[in-house]
Amino acid sequence: MTNHVFQHGNVGGIRIHVLPTKTFKTYAISLYAGVPLAEETVTPTALIPFVLRRGTASYPETTQFRERLEELYGAGFGFDVYKRGDYQIIQFRMDTINDSFVQSKESLLGESFAFLGEVLTRPVLEGDSFRTSYVSTERETVRKKLEAIVNDKIRYAAERCIEEMCREEPYRLHPLGQRGDLDAITPDSLHQSYLSWLDGAILDLYVVGDTSPEEVQKLVERHFGLGNRSASPYQSQFSPKTVMDVRTVEERMEVGQGKLNMGLRTSITYKDDAYAHALMYNGILGGYPHSKLFVNVREKESLAYYASSRYDGHKGIATIQSGIEIQNYNKAVDIIRKQLDEMKNGNISDLELSQTKAMIRNLLSEIQDSAFEMIAFDFNRVLSGKDRSTEELMSQVEASGAEDVKRAADTVALDTIYFLTGQKEES
Amino acid sequence: MEQIHYDRLQETLYHEVLDNGLKVYVLPKPGFKKTYATFATKYGSVDNHFRVAGGEETSVPDGIAHFLEHKMFEEPEGDIFATFASNGASANAFTSFEQTVYLFSATEKIETNIETLIDFVQRPYFTDQNVEKEKGIIGQEINMYADNPDWRVYFGLIEAMYQKNPVRIDIAGTVESISTISKETLYTCYNAFYHPSNMLLFIVGGVDPESVFELVRSNQARKSYERQGEIERIFEQEPEQVGVKRLENKLAVSMPKCLFGFKEKEIGLSGKAAVRRDLTTKLMLDLLLGSSTALYQKLYDEGLISDSFGHEFNSSPQYAFSAIGGDTKDPELLLKRIREEIDPLLESGFAERDFIRARNKKIGGYLRMLNSPESIAHEFTRYQFRGGDLFDVLPEYESISLEEVNQRLREHIDWSQLAVSVVVNP
Repeated sequence: MTNHVFQHGNVGGIRIHVLPTKTFKTYAISLYAGVPLAEETVTPTALIPFVLRRGTASYPETTQFRERLEELYGAGFGFDVYKRGDYQIIQFRMDTINDSFVQSKESLLGESFAFLGEVLTRPVLEGDSFRTSYVSTERETVRKKLEAIVNDKIRYAAERCIEEMCREEPYRLHPLGQRGDLDAITPDSLHQSYLSWLDGAILDLYVVGDTSPEEVQKLVERHFGLGNRSASPYQSQFSPKTVMDVRTVEERMEVGQGKLNMGLRTSITYKDDAYAHALMYNGILGGYPHSKLFVNVREKESLAYYASSRYDGHKGIATIQSGIEIQNYNKAVDIIRKQLDEMKNGNISDLELSQTKAMIRNLLSEIQDSAFEMIAFDFNRVLSGKDRSTEELMSQVEASGAEDVKRAADTVALDTIYFLTGQKEES
Repeated sequence: MEQIHYDRLQETLYHEVLDNGLKVYVLPKPGFKKTYATFATKYGSVDNHFRVAGGEETSVPDGIAHFLEHKMFEEPEGDIFATFASNGASANAFTSFEQTVYLFSATEKIETNIETLIDFVQRPYFTDQNVEKEKGIIGQEINMYADNPDWRVYFGLIEAMYQKNPVRIDIAGTVESISTISKETLYTCYNAFYHPSNMLLFIVGGVDPESVFELVRSNQARKSYERQGEIERIFEQEPEQVGVKRLENKLAVSMPKCLFGFKEKEIGLSGKAAVRRDLTTKLMLDLLLGSSTALYQKLYDEGLISDSFGHEFNSSPQYAFSAIGGDTKDPELLLKRIREEIDPLLESGFAERDFIRARNKKIGGYLRMLNSPESIAHEFTRYQFRGGDLFDVLPEYESISLEEVNQRLREHIDWSQLAVSVVVNP
């Protein structure tokens, strides 16, 4: 099924992954930079890309920086900061039009590399330090973003549930860091953080589009110039946790609808052969509209508009989320726990198995219609050290039966129930 | 089956209007695994007062188009999601002001899934019991949006601007308004708006157009539809001026949210003229307030706006308005500063160099959009329902002049047409 295969290489300590194709009207470029998630570094690391996107040596003013992107036919440029397993990852993305669709004088791929290389390695400086005004405004930007999480109650409840569940692990940390640490960051200290980040981060550069590994290699040599660094692998810190008791956390806020979230642990992670079974477990439990949670919480009981589950194979965590009427808390918890028991008891029908397989098959097949999805799938390999193609994963999913899913269910333990509820006690 | 080739985009579109009036479009995407299909009716939350030729004038409860969308998924044999799942398709639907769209994406059993999509939308099954059950689910959907400050500030702006037009009604209605919905009112709306002549099927992906058309033709030939006359959509006269200048809602937020915009006086545009005004206005707003402008940067450095600051332009034959804003620590100061900075620009107009750059950016954004089957299907349908053609956008952009954008700037930024919506902490 995969007609497309990445070709891998290494240029001066940056791993490169290139997929030549004419399917898309653009070049998709992704640079992943990963460092271990740690309390001391999480906040400055998160702030780095915010300052880097303000200006470079050639485009020191932010308006110049953004005008340059517009000149490249509105090249898409953006970044994300997130966590995968116990790593904090910064992902820079560019999405540039293939020159053949527009009347461009420059090579848009070459210019995009020049731009991204400069963003990463040649930020605008004042002496030996970042520009003061950029650091202070972006510090405020990150602070506002951290404060704004509470505005979206669905996301807030999901993050609080994880924070409570992982309160003794680095994973409790928000990828954007801790508000309290922002004030101590100075232009000078941040520049130092940047230099050690650039030196120590694990770098993976992806390109999907009408190009070749040779062309990409030359562009990286020319525009990144990081000297000789070593391309180190990601190392999983995962160790299965034993859950003793289910912990319940309730938080009060001015809300009309209650948000019920649950955190579960499993010993199965991406690198395991049982990963396909964990995917099936999640799919049957709550991944889709035919799943147990949707059917029982929403369709049978009309308790919620959304009720679903997610599985994070890099951390060995599954989560459940739903929005309910506050007084229905006990009823909803009972129904959800009953679905978890059904999974453990192996009450899984052939229809649930075949529907879930068909949905996962669809999900895996669709990946190659999107450049960034293909990149994200291959990056799972880099992160976990497990090389498993979409076809292999698919055939493992196809081969799984109710017994396999039940065995996966046996590894799952409910750890935390989190409820975001209203200010007043409801009768 | 007709075929149109768009040379510069390297796309070929196939289309046909079937005997019963259904419009069918197929865009093959060689090399794509996925097929994405949308089946849309030109019927949205604003269509709450209507008359079908030869019938009676009818008013229906707020939120009924959305309610109908939910109920379509229920079949006598159960939930249609299960059928899609058995065939590996991921299905969904959404309701907007002007349309209701049913969709799936799949990489296998494409023909089966296309038939499932068409058949379930053409087979309503409403009972007293299943209608009652849905009220609890939609009630929770309404509560979810009520707690969402972005949604509240957006709807607050529309409520401030529009006094009579039903665009001001929340798409899902209210818990009270949906309580009055019955299976009879659902059938009334269904029969009026789900006639094939009011619908459009769009299929994009790795498909063979001829066999898709054959499938759809024979599917439709098996069903009998009486000819339906025009649907008259009845709208109360909307005053030119905004309803209230400022509307405030209270909700737990970390920082106030402020959205403002200008209500267009001229409405009733359709076809090419509507598309051109939309594109010109969006280009103008980007030149005025986009993230590469000096104004944006000043406001950002003054701490008045954040990355959430953005702008959009929304239009239909019945309404047209801009929505600009985001999170801000001081809504009043933000508006004051924007006005101070914009007024001189109204005199001078934009610079040629900035205009060219912004236009290139828009062209690039448009071409990037064409990588996404989902975006193509949604945008194409939206354009068709307004009498425009999505694939004409590239030459349209290229022919927009600086003078035109400057004129649009002076027309649209009319401070007497300004309305402001804010959400602040209780």
